[in-house]
Amino acid sequence: MKITNGKDFWAGLMFIAFGGGFMYISGNYAMGTAVRMGPAYFPTVLGGMLMALGAMVLFRAFVSKLPNPLAVFPFRGWLVVGGLALGVMAYYTQPPRDAVIVWQVGHMFLAGGAIGLLFAAFGPRPLWVILFSVVVFGYLLKPLGLVLATGALIFGSAWGGHEFKWKEVTILSVALAIFSVIAFVRGLGLPMNVWPSFWE
Amino acid sequence: MEGLIHNLAIGFGVALSLQNLFYCFIGVILGTLIGVLPGIGPVATIAMLLPVTFTLSPISALIMLAGIYYGAQYGGSTTAILVNLPGESSSVVTCLDGYQMARQGRAGPALGIAAIGSFFAGCVSTVIIALFAPPLAEVALKFGPAEYFSLMCLGLIAAVVLAHGSLVKAIAMVILGLLLGLVGTDVNSGVARFSFGVSELSDGIGFVSVAMGVFGFAEIIGNLEQKEEREIFVKKVTGLLPTLQDLKDSAPSILRGTALGSFLGILPGGGALLASFAAYTLEKKISKNSANFGKGAIQGVAAPESANNAGAQTSFIPLLTLGIPSNPVMALMIGAMMIQGIAPGPQVMTERPQLFWGMIASMWVGNLMLVILNLPLIGMWIKLLTVPYRILYPAILLFCCIGVYSISNSPFDVMQTAVFGVVGYIFVKLECEPAPLILGFILGPLMEENLRRAMLLSRGDPTVFFQRPISLTMLLIAGFLLLITLAPAIRKKREEAFVEA
Repeated sequence: MKITNGKDFWAGLMFIAFGGGFMYISGNYAMGTAVRMGPAYFPTVLGGMLMALGAMVLFRAFVSKLPNPLAVFPFRGWLVVGGLALGVMAYYTQPPRDAVIVWQVGHMFLAGGAIGLLFAAFGPRPLWVILFSVVVFGYLLKPLGLVLATGALIFGSAWGGHEFKWKEVTILSVALAIFSVIAFVRGLGLPMNVWPSFWE
Repeated sequence: MEGLIHNLAIGFGVALSLQNLFYCFIGVILGTLIGVLPGIGPVATIAMLLPVTFTLSPISALIMLAGIYYGAQYGGSTTAILVNLPGESSSVVTCLDGYQMARQGRAGPALGIAAIGSFFAGCVSTVIIALFAPPLAEVALKFGPAEYFSLMCLGLIAAVVLAHGSLVKAIAMVILGLLLGLVGTDVNSGVARFSFGVSELSDGIGFVSVAMGVFGFAEIIGNLEQKEEREIFVKKVTGLLPTLQDLKDSAPSILRGTALGSFLGILPGGGALLASFAAYTLEKKISKNSANFGKGAIQGVAAPESANNAGAQTSFIPLLTLGIPSNPVMALMIGAMMIQGIAPGPQVMTERPQLFWGMIASMWVGNLMLVILNLPLIGMWIKLLTVPYRILYPAILLFCCIGVYSISNSPFDVMQTAVFGVVGYIFVKLECEPAPLILGFILGPLMEENLRRAMLLSRGDPTVFFQRPISLTMLLIAGFLLLITLAPAIRKKREEAFVEA
């Protein structure tokens, strides 16, 4: 038995994992009867179907005539190790509610770094650089305001592309920040602060 | 007939109000814009604008969002003809002959005929919606839970059959979508399912996050993975008006494209994409000089461009009458209706005639705007194509993020969207079509609800789905569709149709 179609192999595993996961978690809820279905009924049935379909896709990976390499994604083992190490550290240094601010911020960096490294371990650079800047934007918007968060997102995401020109990206950030303040905050009246919240 | 005229009068009254004209205009401008730009489609745009529509009245919101969808069909042809890149997935086939025409110095007539064909198709399909939606809605009002459940099965299976790629994977994606749709508080028992104790998840996974992550973010990342190569045909575009001979040659193609597109748009799973592929294949089959296709035949532009516009518009029929989305864009429209507190379904037409007929009338108005916008302003759209992608994508990303954030003003939705961006990227890499997932996601809770009700009414007898004639018919059609797709001969044809075109 040899895997000829790597894409089908991973897709099959993915469907089986999702189906199994939903079925397993459904075990916590009431099943009910066919007349009065409980919250677990429908997801359990669907989860089973998904696992069966996943098995079919997985089987096809061995008989398929479409050759696809097994290495669909790039994989960087050392980043996984680093990410897991940071994750373990973050887990054991969880700050209590009344901890000093340095501890809390430090912990956030640890946890964020762990997630970032695990992302970066697979997939191309655009994937993790761009999505990481998106998440950073989401978390910076309230404390730092729209203008600075926009700058962070534009610089971050531009860095994830092929070409990065300082001047161009700076102009783009300024232009987009002005545009979004005028269009979204002034025009549409979205409730966002423009500048850092501690300034206002 | 009188009723129809009366209804259309109501509709135009609504659509021609200053406010709605304005939002229709914004919609078609945005639609053309994103249609022209490769790398961002109507799904991501509508998802991006959903949160913004909170502040609008329901009718203005829907008019604007609808304008984006059919406006994108117009814009897509411009890019296809001038750059040989589909600005919109439904313009893939337009590249074949449109670009060749442009190389022969006939870009003007190609653009002209695409706009004329689209306008004609838009007018016809507006009338078709006005004619067919009311009787269909009347039938749908008699549907019980069993009929609805079977209808959804049929809709999902049809969507799977018409999607390209592997059938098994497409069905698996539908089921995964249904399961993801179930996350959140169960209405019957109040149990927060699959929420892992996260309070945000007990309201369910945000629909905008899924759509934008899987379609928007994953698309940007996919585009960035490939090296940018875009050669633009920026020779002067002169003489937009096709000659009389061109018109004579393409008139039958426009008619056939419109008819086929209108029909395919109504089918569950149909819409602009399928319509354009099918119309091109049909033209090539019945043309006397099919050897010309791919070498700049004007019929090869006229037919698919008419068909995709017709299909885009008639796909509103199942949405407006049954409350069932036939493609991801319609799923988003359902999302928009629910945000506005409107339960989609056959009752919309009777309870909110203004909304229903206003939207239909606005489509005709929007098409008129598009012709006016596209022909004289074509130079401006071409300029836009010279903006490099490295400038465009951060802007797109920013608008997506602001849109997602403003759903509930919390970073949680942004993170959720990023997660679905990863998931969407994986789907693309593993050749799993995401469109069926979105349909399943929106139908998940509805399907469970109707299944529960049907089983409760029948006292647990599952044969209820086969005893009621309408329900049985729909299940039989669904089964038949599945069977013929599995038949080897058709399977080959289906793959051919997508590969060849």
